[in-house]
Amino acid sequence: MTRLVVKGIGVAGAFGTGVESFQSALAEGRATVGSVEVATGEGVVTVPAYRADTAALEEFVPKRALRRVDNYSKLALLGSYLALKDAGMLGADLGRLGLVIASGYGATATTYAFLDSLISGGDTCASPTHFANSVHNAAAANVAITLGIRGPSLTVSQFDMSVPSALVSARQWLAEGRVDAVLFGAVDEVSELVAYLQHRRYGPRHVAAMAPFDAGTESSIIGEGAAFLVLTRDDGGTAYCGIDSVETGNVFGGGLSLPDDALMLLGADGRKELGRRYLDTVAAGATAACYTPIYGSMPAAAAFDLAAAALALKNGQAFASPAGPGPFAPDSAGVSRICSLRLAGPSEYATVLMSKL
Amino acid sequence: MTRWPVAITGLGCICAAGGTVPECLDSLYAGRRAPAPPERFVSSHPTPFPVFEVRDFREPPELLRTSALAVQAAREALADAGFSAAELRGLRVGVCVGTTVGSALNDEGFCRAHRAGEEPNLFPMERILNSNPAAVIARAFDCTGPCQTVVNACASGTDAVGLAASWIRGGICDVAIAGGADELGRITYHGFISLMITDDSPCKPFDRDRKGLNLGEGAGMLVLESEQVRARRGARARSFVMGYGSACDAYHLTAPHPEGAGLRQAVAEALACCAVAPDQVCFVNAHGTGTPDNDRVESRVLAELFPGVPYHSTKGYTGHTLGAAGGIEAVFTVACLERGLVPGSAGFANADPELAGEPLRGNLEVTGGLALSQSLAFGGSNSVLLFGKGDAA
Repeated sequence: MTRLVVKGIGVAGAFGTGVESFQSALAEGRATVGSVEVATGEGVVTVPAYRADTAALEEFVPKRALRRVDNYSKLALLGSYLALKDAGMLGADLGRLGLVIASGYGATATTYAFLDSLISGGDTCASPTHFANSVHNAAAANVAITLGIRGPSLTVSQFDMSVPSALVSARQWLAEGRVDAVLFGAVDEVSELVAYLQHRRYGPRHVAAMAPFDAGTESSIIGEGAAFLVLTRDDGGTAYCGIDSVETGNVFGGGLSLPDDALMLLGADGRKELGRRYLDTVAAGATAACYTPIYGSMPAAAAFDLAAAALALKNGQAFASPAGPGPFAPDSAGVSRICSLRLAGPSEYATVLMSKL
Repeated sequence: MTRWPVAITGLGCICAAGGTVPECLDSLYAGRRAPAPPERFVSSHPTPFPVFEVRDFREPPELLRTSALAVQAAREALADAGFSAAELRGLRVGVCVGTTVGSALNDEGFCRAHRAGEEPNLFPMERILNSNPAAVIARAFDCTGPCQTVVNACASGTDAVGLAASWIRGGICDVAIAGGADELGRITYHGFISLMITDDSPCKPFDRDRKGLNLGEGAGMLVLESEQVRARRGARARSFVMGYGSACDAYHLTAPHPEGAGLRQAVAEALACCAVAPDQVCFVNAHGTGTPDNDRVESRVLAELFPGVPYHSTKGYTGHTLGAAGGIEAVFTVACLERGLVPGSAGFANADPELAGEPLRGNLEVTGGLALSQSLAFGGSNSVLLFGKGDAA
C-alpha cells in the first residue's frame, strides 16, 4: 500500500492549543478536567468534561468573520489552521489539497438549538441559520470557505469508528493521486445534549478522573476538541512519522492480528464494557499505552491518538501512559512502531500502524 | 490520472417512485408521480408543502427509518447481483453509504421532553446510535470490510459510490455495497421550509415557474465488484463506474458557486478518469432540484460543458431525497443507460429564457455508452459519477 507521512499537526483540546501544549500535557500526564452544567429532571447538575477553548482562532481569522460560526466549526477551523501552519502550508497554493473530516456526533449544540427553535417557536419559526449549520459537513464547508480549499471534501460520521474509517478514504485519495496532500481531522464537541446523555447513562456519581483499565468502574469523562493532520505520500522529506497501514473490520470476520513489535496505543476511554474488550484483545504483558485521559472520551479522540503517536515516533520516545494501573508492561524507552487500536460496539475494530521515519 | 473501471453487478432502490428498481423505472417511463402533503408526520405549518413519501414501508422499531430503507435497497441490489448470504461471507465486503440524517443526534420527542424538565427515555438516542446506516447494512449482511457513512449533505450518495469504487480498485475490499439513504421527517421538513427553498406545488426542475424543491425519502444501492470475484462467479456487469470527481466550491454554506466552479472541476475529474470527451456522454442525470439557484448554475454548466447532450432531472418523480439522492440517481442512470431509454423530466413544462437550455420533456432513446450523474450539496460539495455500459444481457 501507499505509505503516508504526517507533515503537520494541529490540535486543540482541554490541554490547550497547539503541538507544544499537547506535548507537554502528554509528557506530564496532565489531565485538565472542567465541567458543564446541564438541566435535568432533578435540577441543574454539573457534569465533568474536558473543554476546549477556541480563542486562539483569532490569530488566524478576524473575530467579525466568526460571528455566525458555531463552536463545532470553530474547533475544526482552529485545528485546520494549526495543522497547515505546522506543515508550513499556510499561505501556500492549496489547489491539490483534499479535506477529510471525521466526527462522531457532528454539531450537536447547533442541532439541539435548531430543535429548540422548532419547539419553542412552533413549526413556522424553525431557525434557518441553525438548520444550515447543523448539517454534518458544515465544519468542512466553513474550513473550505475560510481557507479557500477547492479540492475534494469528505465528512464521515461513523460514531466511534469515524476516524479510522475516514482515514481509509483519505489514504485512497493519496494513493490514486487525486490530491497531493490531505488535511485530515476529527472534531467533536461537548454540548448540553452530549453532557445530558452522559449524565443519564453514568450519573449521578461522576468520577473525577478517567481510569480506562479499571474494569470495575465506569470512568469515562466526555471531551471535546479538534485534532488535524496534514498527510502526504512519503516523498522522503521531513515529517513526524509514517502511516504504514489502516485496517478496519469486525471480529466476526476473523483476522484481527496485532503486531508484536509495536507499542499498542489503546483507545480505551473509561467505558467499562469497552475497557473489557481492550483487555481481552491485547495480550496481558504487551507493551501498551493509553492517552485518552489527556483529552477525554469522544469519537474524535482517535485522531488525538494518531497525533500523540506521531509526536512519540518523532521523539523516538513514548509518553508514559496516564491511564492508571493496567495489565500492560511499562512503555519501552525507545519506540519505532506504534499500532493505534480502536474498538467499538461488540465487534468492530480498527488498527493504524505508524512508524518512525 | 487514469483509473480503471469498476463493475456494477446489482441495483436496488426504494423511493416514492417505487419499491424496487423495475417499479421505479415503470413510474419514470410513464411520467407518473404523486407528491402530496406529508402523511407520516403532522405539521402545523399553514402551507401543506408536497413531499414524496414512501407510503407502504414500515421500519422495525429498533431502527431508524433511514437505515431500514438502506437495508431494503441493499437486499434488492445483492439479490440482483446474485449473491447468496453464504457467498458474501467468504468475501471481504465493504459498505459505503451516504446520508444526511442517519447519524444526527436529533430526536424531537426526546428534546421536547428534556426541555419540559422530564427525564426522557433514552431509547430514541440509543436507536440513533445503533442505526448508523453503513453499520446496519454491515450487520445485516455480515460484511467484514471497511464501513463508512458519508455525510456530505446532498452529494453523500454520489460520493459513497465513488469512494467504494476506489476501495475496490485499491484492493481494500472484494465487493462493496454503496449508495445513499435518507428518511423524511418533521425536522428536515421544517428546516427546508425555513430556508424558503421548498415549492408549495409539485416541483418543476429547470422550469420557468420553478419555486423550489419537494422533499422525498428513500434509498438507492449498488453492488460493486472486483474483476477477480466477478470472473470467478461469472457475473454480468450491468454497468461500470468509469469515473468519479468531487470538488468544493469554497463559496457559501447553502448556495452554489454562481459560475459552478466546483461542479466544473468535479466533471473534469470524472471525465479525466478514463480520458473521455464530453460529447461521448449520451445523457446526464442532473441534480435538478427545482430551486432557482441550483437549476440556474447547473444548466449553465451543462450548456457550456455538454452542449447538445440531453439531460434530465428525476427529482420530479422522487422529490429531493437528500443523502439518498446520489444513490437513487446512480441506480436510475445505470438502469436507463442499460435500457437505452431516458425518461423525461416530470414537472418541466415551460422553458426558462434565463437558462441556457432545457431538460428532456419526454422519454428519449439513446445509443451511447456513457452517462453522467451529478450532485450539488450544501457546504459547496459537488460530486459527479460517470457510468459506462455493461456487458450485453
